[in-house]
Amino acid sequence: MNLKILLLDDEPIVGKRLKPAIIKLGCDVEVFDNPAKALKRIDEEAFDIVVTDIRMDEIDGLEVLEHVMNKSVRTKVIMITGYAMMELARQAMEKGAFDFIAKPFKPDDLRNVIIKAAETLGVRLKEQG
Amino acid sequence: MMKDCIDKRYKCVLQWLKKLIDKQIDQREETKGAGIEAVEKTPKKPYRFTIKAHIYVGFVVTFILALGIGASMLLTMVKMEKGLQLSEFANNFYASVSQARSFEKDYFLYGSGIKESKQVIKKLEKQVITHYGELKKHIDYENSIGLLEKYVKLLENMEELDRVKNGFDQLDKAQRKERLQKELKQCGSMLINSAEKLLSKGSDATERLIIHFRTVHLYALVFLIFFMLFISHLLGKRVLRAINLFSKYSTLMANGQYTTIMSDHNYNDEFSDLSMAIDYLIKELDRQQQILAQSQKLRAVGTLTSGIAHELNNPINNITLTAHMLLEDYSDLSDEERIDMVRDLTDEAGRARNIVRNLLDFARESETIMEPICIGGVLRDTLKLTGNQIKLAGVNVDLKIAPNLPRIHGDRHQLEQVFLNLLLNALDVTRKGGHLKIHVGPSEEPNFVSVKVIDYGTGIPDHILHHIFDPFFTTKSKGKGTGLGLSVSQGIIAKHGGQITVDTKVNRGTTFTVKLPITTIPADLAKCSEGVNLSIAT
Repeated sequence: MNLKILLLDDEPIVGKRLKPAIIKLGCDVEVFDNPAKALKRIDEEAFDIVVTDIRMDEIDGLEVLEHVMNKSVRTKVIMITGYAMMELARQAMEKGAFDFIAKPFKPDDLRNVIIKAAETLGVRLKEQG
Repeated sequence: MMKDCIDKRYKCVLQWLKKLIDKQIDQREETKGAGIEAVEKTPKKPYRFTIKAHIYVGFVVTFILALGIGASMLLTMVKMEKGLQLSEFANNFYASVSQARSFEKDYFLYGSGIKESKQVIKKLEKQVITHYGELKKHIDYENSIGLLEKYVKLLENMEELDRVKNGFDQLDKAQRKERLQKELKQCGSMLINSAEKLLSKGSDATERLIIHFRTVHLYALVFLIFFMLFISHLLGKRVLRAINLFSKYSTLMANGQYTTIMSDHNYNDEFSDLSMAIDYLIKELDRQQQILAQSQKLRAVGTLTSGIAHELNNPINNITLTAHMLLEDYSDLSDEERIDMVRDLTDEAGRARNIVRNLLDFARESETIMEPICIGGVLRDTLKLTGNQIKLAGVNVDLKIAPNLPRIHGDRHQLEQVFLNLLLNALDVTRKGGHLKIHVGPSEEPNFVSVKVIDYGTGIPDHILHHIFDPFFTTKSKGKGTGLGLSVSQGIIAKHGGQITVDTKVNRGTTFTVKLPITTIPADLAKCSEGVNLSIAT
């Protein structure tokens, strides 16, 4: 069974571009640019990996993290942070985030983190050419 | 007019004074009427009349007047001396005549004394002849000499008569003697008369001279006092006027309005030099103020940069992701998809450029451009500039702009700097999730608009309140604030003819109010129609 990944970033282009990149890893990807909608979807479905931006206008990335952790500790949460936000990143790690990745990043940077997360979940992902 | 002057000098002086006063009044009216033109005129004055010269002229004129009075005093004194001499002579004359007459009496009583009487009169005659010059004016000289000579002649005749013992009969002799005696008596009394006349004339002249002396010197003294008062009044007025002018301009300067000092007279003096020095000082101060403002601005830019850098991450990230995916999947993508990706690239690049341009626009060292502007627009631009800072601080900002506000006359970038300072200060004291309010509306003071930046932070304690507008005063930690923000802001607002006031309560919050005068240029009276009610929530 494919890993289920949710990607949340309030910049629509992030989701638009990363979706095909992650699909290539052989995962099922759902993309959101609205945190409220994403939270609703998290309540409905159990995701293996959640990738979320840490700074969004309406709902904070940390809130999403807490929400996910409350629902399932098993889910790996990868935070996307901005420049010089080590303080927020540290808070996120304390709250149980799997890892963080700083903007700007390349698609491969995220894919590598996802591959690592999948490994801790016992799934071996391989990029499909 | 010159002819009038010659015979009536005081008239001439009065006319000259009148002309002087008229000229002064004319000058004042001229400068009043042409106030604006006078400012544009070149500061070069046609002639130089220093205060030193003023004092010198006053001193020299007073000195000459005093000298004149002294000289006239001396002259009168010499005259008085002569008068006294005349009196003395008159006394002498009288005494001599009396003496001669008493000898004459002796002769008639005792038969001796005629010689002595003759001697006395001859001596007197000599004296009268030597004093011819003076006496000529006062007595009928010829007559007096004639009388004296006649008297001597009569005495000689009498002597002759006595010497001739024989030849005449006694009766004839007695008759002649009696006739001579009668003539002698008559001539003697005429001489006495003449002497009395001279005596009274002498004392009259002396008295007249004393009165003359008294009046002339009293008037001269009074005139000298008034003249000195007039001179010192002119000097005092001149100095006081200059000092008043300087104090007026220094008050303006203290309020931040740096203007060139324009004096209201058309000559150069020490105060002109001083005003030139002060103008130089003002220009230098203004330049320093500009440098200070610019450095403070760059500091503010530094504060904004962290927010901007953050904001820039998004378009750069989008560009990175899109470019990499385009590279990765290039051959698998349809033309449409490729075009979509390239369009995303250009859009995001444009977005990044706008962010940077906003900041650069603000940071740029620009010339002051005073124009009619809507203050609301300036605040919206400022909010745009601080958007990231507000997001980072997690503060809610309410912006309320009243509709139909009059325009103000000002420099957009400088005012942006002021509101940016106030906003960043307010953000600093507002905790996450807190509120800030910005109200733009008409001020209670007519013809002013006010901008209130209200925070609900810690407030400013009393002992700090006096210092918040001082340059380099800051409560922020080292490296976070320069202490120039409010000082520079105050300078800018003062230059716009407005003022910043602060109203604060410890632990309740602080309200900074900026009051700016509305424009009065008729062409710029169109109002800023849009009212705004905007909330930035994070």
